[in-house]
Amino acid sequence: MAAPSQTSSAFPSPYEVGTPPGCEGWQEMYPYHTLFHEARREADENRFWFWNSMHFPVPMPAFDVHCADSPYQAIGVWQNRVFAVPPAMGIDYRILNGYVYISGNPVTDPEKIAERAEYFQRRAGYYYEHWDELYARFKEKMQALIAEITELPVPDLPEYEPDEVAFEDDRNTAVYGVLDAYQRTLRCADLMWQHHFEFLLLGYGAYMTFSEFCKSQLPDIPDQHVAQMIAGIDVLLFKPSAELRKLAKLAIDMGVDGAFVEGRSPAEIDAELSRSEAGQHWLEELEKVKDPWFNMATGDGLYHFYRSWYDDPSIAYASLVGHVRALHDGEEVERPLDEIARERDRLAEEYGKLIDEGSRGTFDELLALSRTVFPYVEEHKFFCDYWFLTRWFNKLREFGALLAEHGFLEDGEDIFQLARHEVAQALDELVLTWATGGVPLGPAHWPPIVARRKELLERLGEWTPPPAVGATPEAITDPAVIMLWGVTTQRVQDWASAEHGGGRLTGAAASPGVVEGVARVVIDVEEIARVRDGDILVCPITSPAWAPIFSNVRAVVTDIGGVMSHAAIVCREYGLPAVVGTGRATAEIATGQMIRVDGSNGVVTILDS
Amino acid sequence: MPDVHTRSLGELRRLDAAAFGGKSANLGELLSLGLHVPTGFAVAASAFRTFVDGTGLDGTIAAAMARAASGDVEDGAAASKAIGEAMRFAPLPDDVRDELAARHDELVRAHGGEPPPVAVRSSAIGEDGEESTFAGQQESFLWLRGLEQVCDAVRDCWASLYTPRAIGYRAARGAGGEEPAMGVTVQEMVDAEVSGVLFTCNPVSGDPSMVAIDASWGLGTAVVGGELTPDAYLVSKVTGEVARRTVHTKHVEYVPAPSGRGTIRRAVPEGRRDEPCLDEEALAALVRVARRIEDHFGSPQDVEWALARERAAPDVVHVLQARPVTTLPERKPALSGSALSLVLSTFGAPPGTSDRA
Repeated sequence: MAAPSQTSSAFPSPYEVGTPPGCEGWQEMYPYHTLFHEARREADENRFWFWNSMHFPVPMPAFDVHCADSPYQAIGVWQNRVFAVPPAMGIDYRILNGYVYISGNPVTDPEKIAERAEYFQRRAGYYYEHWDELYARFKEKMQALIAEITELPVPDLPEYEPDEVAFEDDRNTAVYGVLDAYQRTLRCADLMWQHHFEFLLLGYGAYMTFSEFCKSQLPDIPDQHVAQMIAGIDVLLFKPSAELRKLAKLAIDMGVDGAFVEGRSPAEIDAELSRSEAGQHWLEELEKVKDPWFNMATGDGLYHFYRSWYDDPSIAYASLVGHVRALHDGEEVERPLDEIARERDRLAEEYGKLIDEGSRGTFDELLALSRTVFPYVEEHKFFCDYWFLTRWFNKLREFGALLAEHGFLEDGEDIFQLARHEVAQALDELVLTWATGGVPLGPAHWPPIVARRKELLERLGEWTPPPAVGATPEAITDPAVIMLWGVTTQRVQDWASAEHGGGRLTGAAASPGVVEGVARVVIDVEEIARVRDGDILVCPITSPAWAPIFSNVRAVVTDIGGVMSHAAIVCREYGLPAVVGTGRATAEIATGQMIRVDGSNGVVTILDS
Repeated sequence: MPDVHTRSLGELRRLDAAAFGGKSANLGELLSLGLHVPTGFAVAASAFRTFVDGTGLDGTIAAAMARAASGDVEDGAAASKAIGEAMRFAPLPDDVRDELAARHDELVRAHGGEPPPVAVRSSAIGEDGEESTFAGQQESFLWLRGLEQVCDAVRDCWASLYTPRAIGYRAARGAGGEEPAMGVTVQEMVDAEVSGVLFTCNPVSGDPSMVAIDASWGLGTAVVGGELTPDAYLVSKVTGEVARRTVHTKHVEYVPAPSGRGTIRRAVPEGRRDEPCLDEEALAALVRVARRIEDHFGSPQDVEWALARERAAPDVVHVLQARPVTTLPERKPALSGSALSLVLSTFGAPPGTSDRA
């Protein structure tokens, strides 16, 4: 495909995007292969790269780049080398001023496409036919992997090795133990990402086919109705939220609801509860639901700072406070499961009747297949992105603590400012000097690097990345890009023609309804606590982990995502209007502005400028 | 009640279309559904035949049509003028006039002795929509009062069978065509605050899950006459959600004349021009009506409707007529093949290879 020359693109060349002031040298944080390098300028400048703000809304800490490398390795190998998706290989990524931009590698040679189709049909066909058993095995594998990462010991470095090392055959020294544990930690994540992408594309593909089928027969059917026909009723991702609602009711029934005062920290609430017998009993009940439901993360799990609810219960407690208040106000806080199920079946039946008789069988089959794959599409996040990754980052914190203990870092948390190969280097030196008794250089070497990188991340975070760089594509054909990111030809044109500051943004109509209200722009999960009852949440992308606060907001607007994005799914469940994939809502809208969200038509209007 | 040439609308059913025309027959069906359809009566095609035969007009018509047979435009116009004038001056045969008077009296009685405003419209006989359009069978006379006005309008409807266009059309089709015939519908008027047309599908995309609604202020005249672009709504038949809402500037409206007879065209006040004419409640009511009508007739329908200025209830939709939609885009051929082969093709498997999976 001949790409248009750079001058005709609506997007800036990645080579001409300047460095934000004070951020000179940011490149040293990242591996050489992640940069827009002069050596491949011609190729990279003529490709379309869009900012993956869905997974990487803020600049990448050096360690967290593993969460780009490993998944892009996995999506590439499964899409390109295992399933051989005919028109698309894998997805390349680059880092620009700290932000991750991605671009698909198309297959254009018709003969090659035909060759790949042979593989694809056999292999994908097998997966669809055996979905349920393969998915059951996925869950087993993931639980085993989560157990492995949780239990993996990180040895400390004692003055003397224990007797066993001297007297028993199968024991190794702490030198080997530390180096091996670190490698195993990295490999666990690599394996997790392999499991993650084994199913993801096929799951979305079945859904997308059903959607396209519906649109061919019912050209005006809204995306959200297609999604509603498939949506899981009782999927795992809604469980944590449901458990919190039950706990809120319990608090009222037990008369301890007085502890849930807005503005109190979880620790303050716990302290008050533990003063009474009923409160202690409630805390015991809370403990029972924590495993596994507090393995939710406070954000999409691709950054180290998205902790699990175990480590940071602020979202869970904010949601409890909200539920208690809502119950006092006489509101229903339960998800109306029966109603959702009835509506889902009613839609399927009514639309089924409107389909030509000759196609109705195909409609039913596609609907059934979509419903089969859907639990994976919604649930993999819980297993992979939240449960596993929060445990994994905690394991890395153990290495951080070890490095800090020996002066290589000022704080264990600083480990995330080092790239994974730098951590390996630091550990190499640590065990070397511990073994030899020599003087380590690390304590002089690493802390200044860490300090500079923290400063860089802060400054880069103030910079607003363009939604896309490079050539404007004629069409987006990569199934993964369309399915996973909701980036379509139309969306790219919208970005390209967007008038900045026009007061009007368009995106995908993800959940119907129109409301007006005050915008609350939340870039980082730590700002979540500032969301007030009745706000309209404006964010790069929401994760299902934010679901509990959805009972407090009136509508949701995101920068990226399609009608199948998690924000969209959750909004439909909560009956909140949502417009997703606006490209630049967080850049154009300021907290405090009045905005109108039209979730039926995918339009956001800034009412006061 | 004499019922040779006329029938109360409520008595008509689909099968009566051959005698009374499609519009009147459909109104009868709609009334049988319990919808709010303005009452009135239907005049059969037999009344027209009686009129032509009983007043010697048949000779006048035959002579004029013979002259127009050449297809010459001027000859056609002359024939149209001659026939039209003859019809307007010919008295209605007594039996026809007596029946019209009796039916009209019924309406007057139902209105406490005052003649209610009525609309007189042609009710085409036969299935050929194109012919009825060319044959001028789309006449509408609005806001008439009293028997004399009704009788005149009935004659005007009949005369519309002989507009220059209709004559030209018949000349082009050659001799031997059927004798033209026409029914007439006399129906009470609704003082419409808003009126419009709806399709029980999207006529542009062909999507059967949508109701397409056009609406403007006042009576429907301005929209029919192409004087303005109405507001357009696309509403999901399945959930009632508004999928698309396009509000246009509606600068004129037709309303009853202050004299009580006829209609006037007036400017819509500035502030109201850009207001949407339908709110959620009205849209929901229109969709309910659309579904009832489509279910009843079993095929997509094109419905004229009005919302009265003074409404008994906010969601009362008056149905003025319904007819089958004849101009639907062809639907895409049914997608065939197994669900699996379709899924594989989503991933770009070339067509024709996917069924080997």
